[in-house]
Amino acid sequence: MIGAVLQKADGLAEQLQSLTEGVGYLWPEITLVAGLIMVLLFDLIFSNKKEVGLAAISISVLAFLLVAELVFFVPNMQSKDLFTGLITVSSGAALFKIGFTLTAIMALIMAVQSKKYFNEYFSSSEWLISLFGLLLGAFLMTASSNLLMIYISVEVVSISSYLLTGLGKGLKKSEAALKYLLYGAAASAVMLYGMSWLYGLTGSLDINTDTFIVGISSAQPMTLNIALFMVLVGILFKLGAFPLHIWSPDVYEATPTPTVTVFSIVPKLAAVFVLFRLVSSTQSTDFDWTLWLGILAIGGMTIGNFSALWQRNAKRMLAYSSIAHAAFMLTGILLLNRTGIEATVFYGFVYLLMNLTAFYLIQAFENETGTSDYESLKGLGKSMPYISVLLLIVMISLTGLPPVAGFNAKLYLFSAVYDQYSSTGEKILLWVFIFGLLNTVVSLFYYIRIPYLLFFKPDNQTIEGQARFNWNMIWGTLLVLPLFLLFFRSDWFVDLLNSINFVF
Amino acid sequence: MEHLLSYIVFIPLLGAILVLLTPKAYQHLYRVLAIGSTGLTLLLTLFAIKAFDGGLIPQISGEANLQMVEKVEWFSLKLGTLGTMSVDYFMGADGLNISMLLLAAIVLFIGAIACWNVKQKQKAYFSLYLLLSTSVLGCFVALDFFLFYLFFEFMLLPMYFLIGIWGGPRREYAAIKFFLYTLAGSILILIVMIGLYNSVYDPVKTAEVAGLSLTDYSVADIQSMVSEGEIEPDALVKSFNMLNMADSANYIPGSLLDKYGPVATIFGQPARWIAFLAILIGFAIKLPAFPFHTWLPDAHVEAPTPISVVLAGILLKVGGYGLIRTAYAIFPDAAFHYAWLIGFIGMFSIIYGAMNALAQKDLKKLIAFSSVSHMGFVLLGLASMTSEGVSGAIYQMFSHGLISSMLFLVAGVIYDRTHDRMIENYGGLAHQLPKYTVFVGIAFFASLGLPGFSGFVAELFVFLGAFKSASVIGAIPAWMAIVSTLGLVLAAGYYLWTFQKMFLGKFWVKDKKWTSELKDLTIREYLMLVPLVILIIAFGVYPAFLLDLINSGVESFINHLTASI
Repeated sequence: MIGAVLQKADGLAEQLQSLTEGVGYLWPEITLVAGLIMVLLFDLIFSNKKEVGLAAISISVLAFLLVAELVFFVPNMQSKDLFTGLITVSSGAALFKIGFTLTAIMALIMAVQSKKYFNEYFSSSEWLISLFGLLLGAFLMTASSNLLMIYISVEVVSISSYLLTGLGKGLKKSEAALKYLLYGAAASAVMLYGMSWLYGLTGSLDINTDTFIVGISSAQPMTLNIALFMVLVGILFKLGAFPLHIWSPDVYEATPTPTVTVFSIVPKLAAVFVLFRLVSSTQSTDFDWTLWLGILAIGGMTIGNFSALWQRNAKRMLAYSSIAHAAFMLTGILLLNRTGIEATVFYGFVYLLMNLTAFYLIQAFENETGTSDYESLKGLGKSMPYISVLLLIVMISLTGLPPVAGFNAKLYLFSAVYDQYSSTGEKILLWVFIFGLLNTVVSLFYYIRIPYLLFFKPDNQTIEGQARFNWNMIWGTLLVLPLFLLFFRSDWFVDLLNSINFVF
Repeated sequence: MEHLLSYIVFIPLLGAILVLLTPKAYQHLYRVLAIGSTGLTLLLTLFAIKAFDGGLIPQISGEANLQMVEKVEWFSLKLGTLGTMSVDYFMGADGLNISMLLLAAIVLFIGAIACWNVKQKQKAYFSLYLLLSTSVLGCFVALDFFLFYLFFEFMLLPMYFLIGIWGGPRREYAAIKFFLYTLAGSILILIVMIGLYNSVYDPVKTAEVAGLSLTDYSVADIQSMVSEGEIEPDALVKSFNMLNMADSANYIPGSLLDKYGPVATIFGQPARWIAFLAILIGFAIKLPAFPFHTWLPDAHVEAPTPISVVLAGILLKVGGYGLIRTAYAIFPDAAFHYAWLIGFIGMFSIIYGAMNALAQKDLKKLIAFSSVSHMGFVLLGLASMTSEGVSGAIYQMFSHGLISSMLFLVAGVIYDRTHDRMIENYGGLAHQLPKYTVFVGIAFFASLGLPGFSGFVAELFVFLGAFKSASVIGAIPAWMAIVSTLGLVLAAGYYLWTFQKMFLGKFWVKDKKWTSELKDLTIREYLMLVPLVILIIAFGVYPAFLLDLINSGVESFINHLTASI
């Protein structure tokens, strides 16, 4: 196995040189590790009143990282294999990292803004270390082009997620963490087993190499199908997609909102990226990606949407909604073409913005009422009108109605599906198209329920002392504005996507 | 005046923003702002009517002779090998939409006056009302499907809140039912929209991308180059332009909705037929036609008076207009194929709506079902595919917009006073409210199609078209027209019965306390009702005014239909 990894580089000197050269490309990951160590040291050195210091360090490290990522972002950069093919850096991955960093910063800001979480999270370093760990894992997921690297980075994300879920006390939390851990362990075991089959079939772990691609296209179809299904299990688990979604509602409900925000975005998009890679290197095989992902997508959007109808808690509802959204993203991947990938990335980023905003605003309510149950939202439109209107806009966007970006995201995705259908005539595409759009009607019913509770129900509670202006309004507005921008000028972002190199 | 249509559409939006910015301490200004901005819109619309040249014959499948055109590129996306997707900010007026624009401006203004008495949550109410106004107006003038869809969808949200917050006892149910029904319809329209834009290219823009100068090549040259495959697929500019979609030469060869290529099928049916059916259902929900009408009575009964007025007066017309502009103009072949079905649905809606109206006890529900019946005439007229029928359909939309607004206003008058709309709870109101009775009488007689009122002209034209259809074009059989006339008899039945029950005979009300509440019309109510009466009679005795506006458009529309069957 090691021979396979190292066979690219000839002499030791060359190997060393390629290693040192590679390290330079890993500066985002190195920054994260440095931040993690700083947090850890700060926690060890100071004994009390650490909150402000820890918050300042973690936010400034991530802010620095975000700025650096933006400055050094080159859309049309050539993909580059590093560390003898373990890692591939690409501009697509860099774009995703920007999204992840942004999400993590918002999560930190959310935690800082809430008194409860501020004391809980920043008094010691555990939460921050787990968060940085999760981010590091997600970064590596977007960079992995080797089955082992994929496995390791997925595990880094998973272990950090278990820790984040289990932090703190509470029966619900322990239950959710245990569920998550058990499901996750099983899923990754299956994935690892599947990867070992793939290695057995091809003799290579590096999914970009010719050895792998030649090996896989001459593999025995049945064996290959089983192997890829097993790998898919692990990825679907991270994606929170049907049928491996069962853990997510409990975890979402039990976990504090800043953490859920990260859960609902970072691992999902990272899994999407891994799926891009896996699909692109195995699409010419007997495995019918279009059919299987199509079935998963139809199942996911239907199950997600119909389950969301019955929820009585905003966070649980968003958990099911994110299952449906994961299914929509699969829709873009199953097209196996560049238009599909671009539509997925567009959808992914709109989804990132929408979920970030939705959780942010829900926490604004949670800070006042202490819970995210529907019951507690009743009539709050009167005491907190501005935040309520912002939340309404996000819900409209999640449904996919104009004039917000959720509409464009769906439009591009389904245009791509339609186009592929009209040129290939594959039945499954037509079904995905019809199911996807009709599901919008179902989803309206539960998304509109939140504004319904806020505005239609008489207020059984009044929130005192709401300032005319507060930080929630400013951050909320800043988060909602891009949703409008991406509707009215979606071409700006699509032009950027056009120039990005998604070839893996 | 340049950008006239943009001003008309966006002045209410500006009004909404002003309402939002005005502090609560000045909340008495909100209604002034609402009336002011819709009034200004009406004024500008009258300018537009004056500037509109009814003699110019528009080309339904292209931009020739389109008036007051505004066209700016909004955004375009490169889709790699699939070409470019281009969305324009594109508005214009022709004979098919100018009358609808006028109707919308009138009804919105009167609706704004009707909002005068709203007391609770004024800021939200008036800003939503003005948002609704912008989206409705925009819907009628937008000629880019993307823009049209934006306005079309954006109507739902303000309407949902207006019914759901300020409505009657079952408002929440009615609001969500309205939202879900119409959203289901618009998703069907969205499906077709995606299909259409992927199948249609814009020859002018394609020429630009392909580097061909329009001075050397005509549009027809470019179209033939595309159909010969001489222009690479990645140079094609796919457009949302509704007028381009109506020209079958603009379809990309081999695309799913291409008329000339090998017939593509979905579920064993030609793709164009399926697309037409989807869009038909989408707008039939909005119209509403049987069997998609069930949201309407609920929405009407629960909505506050001004919202009922806007709903019946304009929103239903968006359905009819959408059918004309998209379903018929884009898929004339399928429209002809399904003419029988559409005519039958129209006929059935006429009878079914009228029968239901006969059975109602609630005045507003009665009016709601009469709307279903009257909108059936629109479908019948369209299905006939004759110029009389289509003129009649447009005239019916216009006339029903005025009459139903008036009906809901008079229903609102009595509800404002007693908070009860049950027909059986009143008797002999003519003694107590003589002036009100006159207006109710006019509204009822206008609605049942008495000669001299606008409704008569409209229904006459529809029947003329429906009778003639069999011999001229063969779209629908004459018996559909004959059966539909039954609707007139039934309408006379329910209106006269209601009028007799509520207004004639000895004065009686269910609750004695109401007697003191029942005062005759106020100045504000006169202000709303008198202009409507004048308009209803004016369009009844002098139909030429409206017909001159729409004739050339309808003529061209019929030529377009018959040429492409």
